[in-house]
Amino acid sequence: MNKISARQLYFFLACIAPVGKLVLMPTQLVLFSKNDLLFPALANFALQAGIIFLIMLLSRSNKTVFELLRYTFGKIGAAILSLVLALFFLYAAFCPMLEQKLFVQGVFYDTLPSLVAFAPFFIFSAYLCAKPIFALGRIWDFLAPVAIIGFAGLMIFSIGQADYGALLPVGAGGGKGFFEGFAYTLSWFYDSAIVLLLMGGFRYEKGMAWKSLLSYLAGGAAVLLFLAAYYGIFSDIALRQTFAFAKISKYFAGVTVLGRFDYIFICMLSLVMAFYITIPLQACVVCLRETTGQRGMPLWYAVGVNLILFAASYFSNFYNQTAIETVSVKLFWIFPLFCCLVPLLCMLLRRSPREKIVL
Amino acid sequence: MNRISGNLNADEKALKEILSAEDILTFPFRADGGIEFTVVYADAITDKELLGEQVVRPLLHYAGKPQTEEVKKRLTSPELKTETDFNKLAQEVLTGNPVLLWEGMNEAIVTGVKKVFPRAIAEPPTDIAVKGPREGFIEDIKINTSLVRKRLKTPELQLDTVTVGRRSKTVVTVCYIKGTAPEKTVAQIKEKLQRIDIDIIPDSSYLPHFLAEKPRSLLKQVGTTEKPDIFCAKMAEGRVGILVDGSPIALTLPYLLIEDFQSSEDYFVPTYRATFTRLLRAFALFVAIYMPAFYIAAQLFKLQFFPIKLLLTIAGSIQNIPFSPSLEMLLVLLVLEVLNEASIRMPKYVGMALSVVGALVLGETAVNAGFVSTPAIIIIAFSGIGLYAVPNLIEITSVIRLAMLLVAGSVGTYGIILLTAFILFYLATTDNFGVPVLSPFAPFVRRDLRDSLIKFDLLSLEKRPKTLKSKNKRRLTHE
Repeated sequence: MNKISARQLYFFLACIAPVGKLVLMPTQLVLFSKNDLLFPALANFALQAGIIFLIMLLSRSNKTVFELLRYTFGKIGAAILSLVLALFFLYAAFCPMLEQKLFVQGVFYDTLPSLVAFAPFFIFSAYLCAKPIFALGRIWDFLAPVAIIGFAGLMIFSIGQADYGALLPVGAGGGKGFFEGFAYTLSWFYDSAIVLLLMGGFRYEKGMAWKSLLSYLAGGAAVLLFLAAYYGIFSDIALRQTFAFAKISKYFAGVTVLGRFDYIFICMLSLVMAFYITIPLQACVVCLRETTGQRGMPLWYAVGVNLILFAASYFSNFYNQTAIETVSVKLFWIFPLFCCLVPLLCMLLRRSPREKIVL
Repeated sequence: MNRISGNLNADEKALKEILSAEDILTFPFRADGGIEFTVVYADAITDKELLGEQVVRPLLHYAGKPQTEEVKKRLTSPELKTETDFNKLAQEVLTGNPVLLWEGMNEAIVTGVKKVFPRAIAEPPTDIAVKGPREGFIEDIKINTSLVRKRLKTPELQLDTVTVGRRSKTVVTVCYIKGTAPEKTVAQIKEKLQRIDIDIIPDSSYLPHFLAEKPRSLLKQVGTTEKPDIFCAKMAEGRVGILVDGSPIALTLPYLLIEDFQSSEDYFVPTYRATFTRLLRAFALFVAIYMPAFYIAAQLFKLQFFPIKLLLTIAGSIQNIPFSPSLEMLLVLLVLEVLNEASIRMPKYVGMALSVVGALVLGETAVNAGFVSTPAIIIIAFSGIGLYAVPNLIEITSVIRLAMLLVAGSVGTYGIILLTAFILFYLATTDNFGVPVLSPFAPFVRRDLRDSLIKFDLLSLEKRPKTLKSKNKRRLTHE
């Protein structure tokens, strides 16, 4: 349980990570890419896959990122950088949490529930954060088929309803549309930072870098298929169809006759998403522990981090849209900084401790 | 003075001081050669006929020297041993083995003429199979071990005995196949058993608390069975079995959750049928746990879950119900649990009356009176039946169902999802003697899926489950 196997990592990249991109990201893409949503998404997936490939090459040393930071910057330097990473992960967790909250309030309730309805998420998240992050590997094994079945169910119900002609002409959004679609959805792509943190938690095997890249691209291909179906079904009104995966299957004939039994698949994907959005918080707890050098029970960190996020969700309750817009549009550059540039710079870190010079 | 002195009167007195109860009797007799003997025994649990035949009668005409080996040669009992310590002798007497003392010898002979009152070997009520063996374990450990030996005629079968319980001195037998069960697991189990410090062990159900890695966990952590064929099959897979004197329920370790979805019958019916019934069990359990909760969540928070016609029917049924949907469902569930509990405890001849009261008075009349709605009764009835599709998990699944109901009534569907996530994570991170409880699903072990919720044919199960880490991997070879 103390290590993540290669298979579990592939499952995460191919099945778990893509689920986080099915809620608000499609609408955001439609908004900024001027209805030409496939290429910006493809670019984001390709970029992340490339960075993950490089991180996997770095992971051949079987060292954690914190060890590499210590070798290069010493204990104090590593602690400061760990704190910066912790703050990034806390920031990265904010948007998915808001997204999840809005999704839950919009999809599982007829009338808007009180904020308390979402509060149990923080209890669950604190429990997960208090456990070692590498314990996640096993649950990824279990969640991978759940995600596949959930996704396949929704796609079977929706794929035949789509008019794929709506996607044409390809490239109609122009360069500006492509850039904005690409840049303003970067906040959904923090998977490389997570893989960076998982480094050392798995043993590098031959070909793992390529397999990780292909796994991530396979997950990306599934998301692109979803985006195509989504836009094919809703076309010009796609912008209004937030929480895409809860709506994509509702025009299926069986659903209109028998009721929303597609909710079974929506619940399955929601289950996977509940785990996915806690990962940045877990990563934050790991970084904080590294910063303070604490090795015992991470319970207080877990509770503290979740309380901060709960407070953030409470105070932003009436400004959800503004908060998401700020993170994903105005401050979009933070994500490439930590999810692309930091992993690239990590390639320059020392792989072994400095030799002590004895006089 | 803790040891036998050779002075018969003093030794008898010393033993009687430890065993002061009235049912501890002595039988003094003189052999033809003039040696004085005394047998100390417990009245109700010693087979006096055997004692007379195998111990007293052969010694009546004994005229040899008063030496242990000479005396032993005369006795016809196959179970004999010598002992000098009074406390150990007293223990033997209390387990039904009489102690033979005689003048001039500083050791005593323990004779194995214990009276056994076994009930007949019958089909266990908790583990019924239409096809396959019908024998079940009983309360006598010797008969239980014989049922195991009968099926595993191999010198590799090891039956190691440990005595547990300060007062009960319960015999616990650790059974395993040498070379198949991991040595580390066997050693860990024995060590845990030896460390137990409790006054009595009335049943095997006491032991899981001491053997489990998380003793306060709600989750079952030790496998149970009443059938020797299942017990032996599990040992053949690499598990360790535990038999407890006085209990018909045997324990097996390490425990995997998937075990409880399997039945012995699955191995005696065609593969497709076994797979179908296993999936059916899982489905029934899933529906039994989630259906009441989703019904509540849908009624309270999201009516869109229901198709329109069903929604109209439900609306018609619930319009005059005075309780909230969650309270209504909890009440019906409470009635079901009470009926269930009462039907197990009450004498059989009032069972029929209970059925009438339960089904007609409480069910029919409550609906007619407008206290509860028909859909609530139907859902709880199906849920009640569904949980028993996997009877070995009934304790935990009934608690989970209740927790789901409470969460659904307060938070709704998302609460159900989060509680499910919590349970899944807990299960996925729980190990039992180094074996993940949720295996072969988490971690995913492809080879072991062949005998999980789906079942491959026997010829495909060439190797033992990888999860159990048996050294001896291959279990079958075929052309």
